[in-house]
Amino acid sequence: MKIVVCIKQVPETNDVTIDPVTHNLDRRGLAGVMNPFDKNAIELALNLKDSRDDVQVALLTMGPDDYAESLREGLAMGADEGYLLSDRAFAGADTLATGYVLAQALKKIGDADLILFGRQAVDADTGQVGPIVAEFLQQPQITYAASLRLSGDNEVTAERLLEDTKQTLVAQLPAVISVRSELNTPRYPTPRNIQLSFAKPLTTWHHDDLDLDDTRLGQAGSPTIVTKVYAPEPVKRELTKLAGTPAEAASQLITALKGRQLI
Amino acid sequence: MSKPELWVVAERRLDHIEPTTQQLITKAKHLAGNQMHTVAVLFEATTDHLEDELKAYGPDEIRIVKDDRFPTATDAEIADALQQLVTANEPNSILFGATITGRSIAPRLQAKLQTGLTADCLDLRFDDDTLVATKPSYGDNIMCEIICPDHRPQMATVRPNTFVAEPADGAATVTSSTITFHPVDRLQVKTATPVVNTATTVGDASRVVALGRGAASAATISTATKLAEKLGGRIGVSRPLTDQERFTHDDQIGQSGNTIHPELILNFGISGAVQFLVGMQDSQTIVAVNSDPDAPIFDVADYGYVGDATAFMTALLAQFN
Repeated sequence: MKIVVCIKQVPETNDVTIDPVTHNLDRRGLAGVMNPFDKNAIELALNLKDSRDDVQVALLTMGPDDYAESLREGLAMGADEGYLLSDRAFAGADTLATGYVLAQALKKIGDADLILFGRQAVDADTGQVGPIVAEFLQQPQITYAASLRLSGDNEVTAERLLEDTKQTLVAQLPAVISVRSELNTPRYPTPRNIQLSFAKPLTTWHHDDLDLDDTRLGQAGSPTIVTKVYAPEPVKRELTKLAGTPAEAASQLITALKGRQLI
Repeated sequence: MSKPELWVVAERRLDHIEPTTQQLITKAKHLAGNQMHTVAVLFEATTDHLEDELKAYGPDEIRIVKDDRFPTATDAEIADALQQLVTANEPNSILFGATITGRSIAPRLQAKLQTGLTADCLDLRFDDDTLVATKPSYGDNIMCEIICPDHRPQMATVRPNTFVAEPADGAATVTSSTITFHPVDRLQVKTATPVVNTATTVGDASRVVALGRGAASAATISTATKLAEKLGGRIGVSRPLTDQERFTHDDQIGQSGNTIHPELILNFGISGAVQFLVGMQDSQTIVAVNSDPDAPIFDVADYGYVGDATAFMTALLAQFN
């Protein structure tokens, strides 16, 4: 059984700022780390690998060469091999153009029984790439899976939590799955696995390694354009101060809330 | 020439309409003015009448497609049905709730249509016929305006509770459309059951007791729970408390969590990171208690007390009792 986990590298913190002069996002000095939600997808793959002998786990990401760091981390967790899709032609891709390149790479990797994603990336928060890849590959999808188990030779059973409904779904493989972070607790790389990871294959594919329609790549292949980036400004209100001891202040608040017919 | 169509894809939640649908119809009507034709697209079983939960919000049209397989249809099947409707009607824009269902179907449809989709929007407007969607990024620390200039339809998912549903005058025209249902046999929804704990989410609660780092002890949470019960409300938390086992991201306010606007929110021990403030600042009455007089939460509060959050909470609960 072959599992491919698609991962993304994100800034290590969301505390990004806007350059007051250029109005561009200032990401200088921010190191990249693996998107934390993607570790839940890797953990699921490794769980399945632990449970039977024939499971191979590959990691796939698209980005600049330094995204190899996240692949290395995933290999140190226990995955078997990594694929990096890196080319200037891929830069500036929105979710559609990203999904296209990932789908073409998955076709080249071939025969994946399960394609796994984290629920979303913590920087852009879209969660769109998994369903886009599923559509391009014409595979069924189970998004936001809260649990997943192999329920037959070629079949998985998953629970999916909607806002107030629980669904049980059964999929024949191959299928695309995105997982909720509550699904599991990702393992840490052990020193031994870190040691072993350096010998694991990490393949980089550039533009010419894949069968690609150039009109669907990068910025040119992205229907969406970001026209403005800004920091949200909370709207200030006129503050009425409550004063005195906690009991006195609480009493003032109750009077105020009664005046507003809130209690 | 007929007006361009602005669609809201109605979402079903068991036997009812998901409230985000009604919020989006109200917003779509405001956006459309006299320039666009608002359509609520509804997939339902032959015996369903979920349109009755949409009429009061006054879309120009409710376009119904009936098939008994829709209540348990999977994402790919719904996306396929939508693609057929899009091909037949060529809408200008399509809005979905950024619910789990909406966020799963919309990108599938986007891939079929090879167009742009902006996720989890907090605001929408039109510049001529271009939809300008405001999307948070980096955990709501940054807002981006995103357009899709050269492809149609334009698509967006909108965070639940971003807009307020308002009943509207005007009779919606109810029409029916047909599509060919293409079943995907490789994926089956076996069961769908309400989650056992059906307590309202923090997004639905009209009163919220919000707890942050300065109100995180077990005793304080216990007092806060009693206070929330007294108020007929619910506890919400800021990001630090989601590390505690009893809270999840579903309880979180702001930060790609829940945007809320209850009639009353009491903030205890929350300093007020910008993503938290943006996530709750449309609440009708905002109360803040924090030991730091310079905490940003006081900038957006109507009532504020500088002091110990637990002591104030205990005093407040005692006076309620």
